[in-house]
Amino acid sequence: MESYQPEYDKSSVLSDTFWRTPQRAYPGGPRQKVGQSEVMSGSSYQQFQASVNDAWDLGDDDIISGIAETRISKAISQTAALNVINSHRNSSKNVNKGDVKGETDSVKSSTEAIDVRKNEVKKLVGGQGAVGQGGSGPMRPYPGRPRPVRLSALTSREENNELKLERFQQVHESAVVDLNELKQLSWSGIPVKARAITWRLLAGYLPANSERRAETLERKRADYKHLVRQYYAASDERDDETYRQIHIDIPRMSPLVALFQQRTVQVMFERILYIWAIRHPASGYVQGINDLVTPFFMVFLQEAVPGEELDNYPLDKLTEEQRDIIEADSFWCLSKFLDSIQDNYIFAQLGIQYKVNQLKELIRRIDKPLHEHLQNHGVDYLQFSFRWMNNLLTREIPLPCTIRLWDTYLAESDGFAIFQLYVCAAFLLHWRERLMMEKDFQGLMILLQNVPTQNWTDSNISMLVAEAYKLKFAFADAPNHLNAGKADR
Amino acid sequence: MGTREDEYDYLFKVVLIGDSGVGKSSLLSRFTRNEFNLESKSTIGVEFATRSIEVDGKTIKAQIWDTAGQERYRAITSAYYRGAVGALLVYDIAKHLSYENVERWLRELRDHADQNILIMLVGNKSDLRHLRSIPTEEAKAFAERNGLSFIETSALDSTNVEPAFQNILTEIYRIVSQKQMRDPPEGDVIRPDAEPADQRPSQADSVRKQCCQ
Repeated sequence: MESYQPEYDKSSVLSDTFWRTPQRAYPGGPRQKVGQSEVMSGSSYQQFQASVNDAWDLGDDDIISGIAETRISKAISQTAALNVINSHRNSSKNVNKGDVKGETDSVKSSTEAIDVRKNEVKKLVGGQGAVGQGGSGPMRPYPGRPRPVRLSALTSREENNELKLERFQQVHESAVVDLNELKQLSWSGIPVKARAITWRLLAGYLPANSERRAETLERKRADYKHLVRQYYAASDERDDETYRQIHIDIPRMSPLVALFQQRTVQVMFERILYIWAIRHPASGYVQGINDLVTPFFMVFLQEAVPGEELDNYPLDKLTEEQRDIIEADSFWCLSKFLDSIQDNYIFAQLGIQYKVNQLKELIRRIDKPLHEHLQNHGVDYLQFSFRWMNNLLTREIPLPCTIRLWDTYLAESDGFAIFQLYVCAAFLLHWRERLMMEKDFQGLMILLQNVPTQNWTDSNISMLVAEAYKLKFAFADAPNHLNAGKADR
Repeated sequence: MGTREDEYDYLFKVVLIGDSGVGKSSLLSRFTRNEFNLESKSTIGVEFATRSIEVDGKTIKAQIWDTAGQERYRAITSAYYRGAVGALLVYDIAKHLSYENVERWLRELRDHADQNILIMLVGNKSDLRHLRSIPTEEAKAFAERNGLSFIETSALDSTNVEPAFQNILTEIYRIVSQKQMRDPPEGDVIRPDAEPADQRPSQADSVRKQCCQ
């Protein structure tokens, strides 16, 4: 295992640099000092990063430096997350009255780790009844056709929320929010009532220092209005191609949900996406980014009208000011959120291609039988995981689950670009039993494009991220874990 | 999933291409499931479906790849042209730009697809009569000049969807079976360029090297 040479040529071995990513940089991620540029490979990447730096030059350096200050050491973050997972596990144990063996030494050995995973999956399925993991669960026969949004679930289902909500409120009320503590709390899910503020804080949009919040929000919201006037309102100066594409995509985002069929809502989405695209010329608008606005929009809408049924909510009932706040905050939070994954959307979507290859390599190491099963039937990882990564699983899981998942993404200390890879891995492994039963290419592809998650709830996501965390813990910092010699590559 | 209807004589890979929003995914769901899907979101990357039809007593399995229309996705989607023996190039009869872009899509195919690929030009949304901006005759003439077959369809009211796929699959079948009569076949399955389409593990090696990297 220890034959791995620490002295490798960083520029030549991408996959190796990936597994040990103490200080990687990706565009828009938490900044390293300017001029320090030997991460990733090749200087073109750095140039690209420099070229998109502009996006944040609108007087929000304060926020960026705020993020930089909050970087925490790997060791601390790992201990923290382990604690979070353990406490979460304990609570879910009580709920499920099941037992998870091998909990404490979960990553001792590969087979054990996989055993634990299987048990967890089984347990989860057993506890949840109709999660759809069983051999004959109802599957939507549509390739890639997503389900209705079912927003109502957003308000239901909060586990021991009162206590947790209190803890969030305590953190929010402190003069300077302890972001580490907030991340620790948020990683396992944020109570609905605390979510909007927490997301703003975690996204780095709302300053940790409570004295500066009101002023910052006011300024950013005014800035956004200015951007709308500058880029969007002057319709003769619009980039036609970008506008046209957005205009085609918005009305068909959720055609069956009345909320999204309101022109008021569609125009809000159009402006957010158009301005984001214009301000990020290296990527521009890419189909699928529209889905990434929705969670922010819903969370801020829910904050504006707590307790209301959102599926049919007529947005014209809100004041203009309320709508402006939802729109501006969605825009800024989306922008912050996309910063760490902007390379997903540049030309040829290199970030995604790179991550798809990482996913493939990861599965090969974790679950060789599954990997070989896919390969032997000609299933290419790009064919199914491209959408997972491009849309951050929003097309694969119900909206409330996406929102829960983003609690964790926003709470990831280094941005979620790497973590997301492990979530995709855990997601794929979740379906392994079913996949292994499929005997041909089409069966595999149809399943992979229509994984039956329609009954998923927050607890499925909690299991998913815990599993992803475990994989990351076991594999990201141990490039040779389960790698019985490099010869068999 | 119905994959036990695995018996087939031929397996043909067909791609659906064309501008965003012209109805590629709707044509696919109409043909493979006889549904018009109201909840039709933009396609991300590629999506996949199959359906089998009978021609001359032979079972032909169509493996249909639906691609994203946005220009940005070209780099990803063009990988899927490989091994395709047919392409439905779709435009919207009510959207002139989507028709103008047909030439670009043809170039795209020329650059990335097999040179013998059969191409059918499909004017979709023929139900939008009052909004039509491309006369049938114009598109027909264009198709003839460029050696494409041509049809107008409506995935919404299902006009001509079945014939569109039937025609191109039958045409492919004729070409392939004639070719087989001339050149003795190596097997009964047409797998141009070892596309991922095979059930037999013995073929796995040829499939494996396929991954796009």
